[in-house]
Amino acid sequence: MAQGNEDPVYHYLFKVVLVGDASVGKSNLLSRFTRDEFNIDSRSTIGVEFATRSIEVDNKIIKAQIWDTAGQERYRAITSAYYRGAVGALLVYDISNYATFEKVSKWLAELKDHADQNIVVMLVGNKSDLRHLRAVPTEEAMAFGAKHSLSFIETSALDCTNVEKAFQKTLTEIYRIVSSRALETENSAKKVVAGGQAIVVGPTNTDTENKVDKSRCC
Amino acid sequence: MLGELATLNSLSIRFTKFKALLESPTVDLDMLRKLSWNGIPEEIRHLVWKLLMGYLPANSARRDATLARKRSEYEDYVQQTFGKGVETLDQGLYHQIHIDVQRTNPSIPLYQHPRIQQALERVLYCWAIRRPASGYVQGINDLLTPFFQVFLAASVTPNIRDVETMAVDAIPPAVLVEVEADSFWCLGKLLDGIQDNYTAAQPGIQRQITRLQELIHRIDAPLHAHLVAENVQFLQFAFRWMNCLLMREISLRRIIRMWDTYLAEGDLGFSEFHLYVCAAFLVKWSDRLREMEFQEILMFLQSLPTAGWEEKDIELLLAEAFMWQSLFHDSPNHLTQSTTQPPN
Repeated sequence: MAQGNEDPVYHYLFKVVLVGDASVGKSNLLSRFTRDEFNIDSRSTIGVEFATRSIEVDNKIIKAQIWDTAGQERYRAITSAYYRGAVGALLVYDISNYATFEKVSKWLAELKDHADQNIVVMLVGNKSDLRHLRAVPTEEAMAFGAKHSLSFIETSALDCTNVEKAFQKTLTEIYRIVSSRALETENSAKKVVAGGQAIVVGPTNTDTENKVDKSRCC
Repeated sequence: MLGELATLNSLSIRFTKFKALLESPTVDLDMLRKLSWNGIPEEIRHLVWKLLMGYLPANSARRDATLARKRSEYEDYVQQTFGKGVETLDQGLYHQIHIDVQRTNPSIPLYQHPRIQQALERVLYCWAIRRPASGYVQGINDLLTPFFQVFLAASVTPNIRDVETMAVDAIPPAVLVEVEADSFWCLGKLLDGIQDNYTAAQPGIQRQITRLQELIHRIDAPLHAHLVAENVQFLQFAFRWMNCLLMREISLRRIIRMWDTYLAEGDLGFSEFHLYVCAAFLVKWSDRLREMEFQEILMFLQSLPTAGWEEKDIELLLAEAFMWQSLFHDSPNHLTQSTTQPPN
């Protein structure tokens, strides 16, 4: 019940999912962002895994609750359940493996089917440290992103390049949308329930600021 | 000192009992199961596993011929499939197996060697194309390794610990081929018993998770209530428990001991009995879990502190599972009561 007890206080709780083909580096992006760790020999993710980190935007604390999903097709039925309530997604491919980029449209369609209509999606070309093995030209991915109104970035979970930026940008964009929406409606929080776990995508009332009131979630 | 002696004594008595059973012209499989429940001595584990899997006939006169036939059959599969080079394989399937084998048991040196990795790839690929209903599913790579390690140890060193760091180049090719073939057939038999864990939408796993939740509701109501209150879904952590048979939670050597008992449980060891093991496993952390909130619970269950587990911890877990199974298995009413009030 007391979500705020041991956690640092936060103003917003955003659910973000990591999707993309197997072995593109989703789990390492997550561990780099949440624990500043890279595991050269991580095992494949089975089902889903979970981690969190809080960042600050405009003096507001945003807590990202990130779900890392298994990449293999067979797990779709299980993992798509985790898209529900997600307000952001990092759609990851491997710049050294063109097949993983070709699958991006499929993943995008899947997100549109199962996640919130207004989900913020960032296209992430990971493993940018593998320059000599590059198979996906930056321009091509950028053009794809532009065509589908996705922001785009290349990252390396191994050497840290742009990992922070990828998450920061996604979370900031969600925050902008949510705070402007909140201004429009001038009213309390819009809340989405994701698999029973309350995901607050709007500011809490001033009197409950700094504490998310789970009981008010629908 | 006296305690050690007593242990050694009882080990040697157990070993003698196994020996006597295995030396009879037709092995009494019921007796073998009973004896195996409490663990199988390392020196004979490979043989007992093959008998309990139904890979080797109980009749000892027929064993050599069966082995020879099965091994040559597998060699034919490999030849047909890999004979024309990996370029001719289903690239999607081969790629998925390849990347998963690369990251199988990353902390154990044995599995980092290309020779071993290629052997595992061949087994998984040959198996997958023969089971189109499920095909290869991530995690099946894990399930292959207990067989592989036990059979390899039997051929090169009697010890499942030493084999993890052995000089792979020293393994004679003929030995590796046999280990590979035996692992292929035993993996197949194991997976045939839990096939719907891996078919579309993985109904077997979904059913197991529902039953696990019902069981926890019955045997540890406060824990169940706490998890529900914290919005923790069983699917969020137990999916992996079912998909990889706890191999991501417990070290490989301990899993091998666990499989002695699973095999001794018969056809339903890897499904029915495993469910009770999962229940006992979850309840083990009950006190700690009940102090935690949503996020902590999930993080804790994702990396449980089992690294220091010894054989006696596994044996306690198995004994607890056995107890829950005896209490609930033949008492469906225990469960139906909970389904009238569906948990969460």
